[in-house]
Amino acid sequence: MALRLAATGVDARYGAVRALNGASVTVEDGETVVLLGTNGNGKSTLMKCLMGIVRPVAGSIELEVDGTRHDLARLPTEEIVGLGVALVPEGRRLFPKLTVEENLMLGAFRKSARAQIATNLAFAYEAFPVLAERRRQLAGTMSGGQQQMLAIGRALMSSPRLLLVDEPSVGLSPLLVSQTITKIEELKKKFGLTVLMAEQNFHQAVRIADRGYIIVHGEIAFEGKTVAELQSNEIVKQLYLGGG
Amino acid sequence: MFSLELLLDAVVLGVMVGCFYAAVSIGLSISFGLLDVPNVAHPALLVLASYGAWLLGDFDIDPIVAGFIMMPAFFLLGVMLYRTYHETFEKRGSDAGVRGLAFFFGIAFIIEVVIIMRFGVDQRTVQAFYIGKSIEILEVRIPMRMVAAFVVAILLSLALTLYLSKTFLGRAIRAVAQDEAALRLMGANPVAIKQWAFGIATAVVALAGALLIIVQPVEPTLDRAYIGRTFCVVVMAGLGSMSGTLVAGIILGVAETIVLTMFGASWAPAISFTLLLLVLGIRPQGLFGR
Repeated sequence: MALRLAATGVDARYGAVRALNGASVTVEDGETVVLLGTNGNGKSTLMKCLMGIVRPVAGSIELEVDGTRHDLARLPTEEIVGLGVALVPEGRRLFPKLTVEENLMLGAFRKSARAQIATNLAFAYEAFPVLAERRRQLAGTMSGGQQQMLAIGRALMSSPRLLLVDEPSVGLSPLLVSQTITKIEELKKKFGLTVLMAEQNFHQAVRIADRGYIIVHGEIAFEGKTVAELQSNEIVKQLYLGGG
Repeated sequence: MFSLELLLDAVVLGVMVGCFYAAVSIGLSISFGLLDVPNVAHPALLVLASYGAWLLGDFDIDPIVAGFIMMPAFFLLGVMLYRTYHETFEKRGSDAGVRGLAFFFGIAFIIEVVIIMRFGVDQRTVQAFYIGKSIEILEVRIPMRMVAAFVVAILLSLALTLYLSKTFLGRAIRAVAQDEAALRLMGANPVAIKQWAFGIATAVVALAGALLIIVQPVEPTLDRAYIGRTFCVVVMAGLGSMSGTLVAGIILGVAETIVLTMFGASWAPAISFTLLLLVLGIRPQGLFGR
């Protein structure tokens, strides 16, 4: 039961624009790792590379599942999902004209996930009671916070082992951000997940992190092996803590 | 002359005709409404299926049964059509819409020409026990063939509504046009989903084409009369709504029959385009568009 994600020297481009420049990130089994950085520094691009949505032009992305190695840089997204990786995408990307329950059911589209659909649906409703109350409501008509919960619930429906969360705080009020982050931690423990979260809200993100990376202009500027290391880092002080 | 009795006649017959219109449009409701494929070849495929039912009629096969028999072949035809469209146009991105339109116009034209060359321009009809008889509903005489079309239309929209809301593939079909990339994150391949859905849409056309030749004699260029009607119904329904397709079909059917009764047959073809323009002007998202 071992899981390990290692992205090494990943370069990615959008046309002539360099989005990632030799970025290396590892996530070990059971960890919560945060990827910190302000807007436009390549957090989402890295997440997309991990899911096979954006193809890196150089570098390798390897996922080791129970002793077998998989090259994520070559697999199509569908198969990466099949390996037990789920992404809660930036902006949530729900199906706005489908109901809450239909969105959740689509999360279990993979044949392997369908076997556990009843259990997972019950878990999702237990974790987010508001989703159960609104199961027949169209996803697009819910508030931002509820949509974020649905996006997380939908990702859990595929029975993932590695959960990637891209900017869960976008568009949410401070209170909701705090609740969402706490929820991710709670779910992580409950499902035994490994979590990689990209976030620009430093204070909230480090609350649940074991360690983290700071990404600046597509490069990993600092790797903090503990939260304390992150907090005392000069770049962090400059960017987030208002220090000189 | 206007009379209440005449109006009632028109409404009852209109509902029947309308359900038939819904049946011939419902495949387009999937291909154009849900998948965003500009399938203007839909009515031509419909006429092709009518000729199929006519041919199978030579073997004493009931046209509705013929419709079911043709479904697998039409499914495969749909899969091939979508694959070709996807590989040559859709994959290349934004201007696929206009070029795709040209592609499907070409397909429609080829079907028309092939039918003319193979079977000539004569009108074709089929035989069945329910064709030529009529029954009375609300003191209105209704041709039995309309009743057959009515029943099949109701069952078809019911079956498709259930399929699209209760099955994994059905839900994925509804999701694919909303957010293809997000569907990929669910572990589904959007192209495979669309291909499957287009196959189903075309298989449904096989049955609808059989209904067409039950309701009226068919000739190779009949598809032109159904371009306006089918697109009117699908747009009025609100793209991709199955129950909406049924209601929109009935509205068109009743409107056509009333105008036909009050002002004469020459006005009927204008109704669908008028309704289409009205809907696009007043409620572009359609009656049931969400």
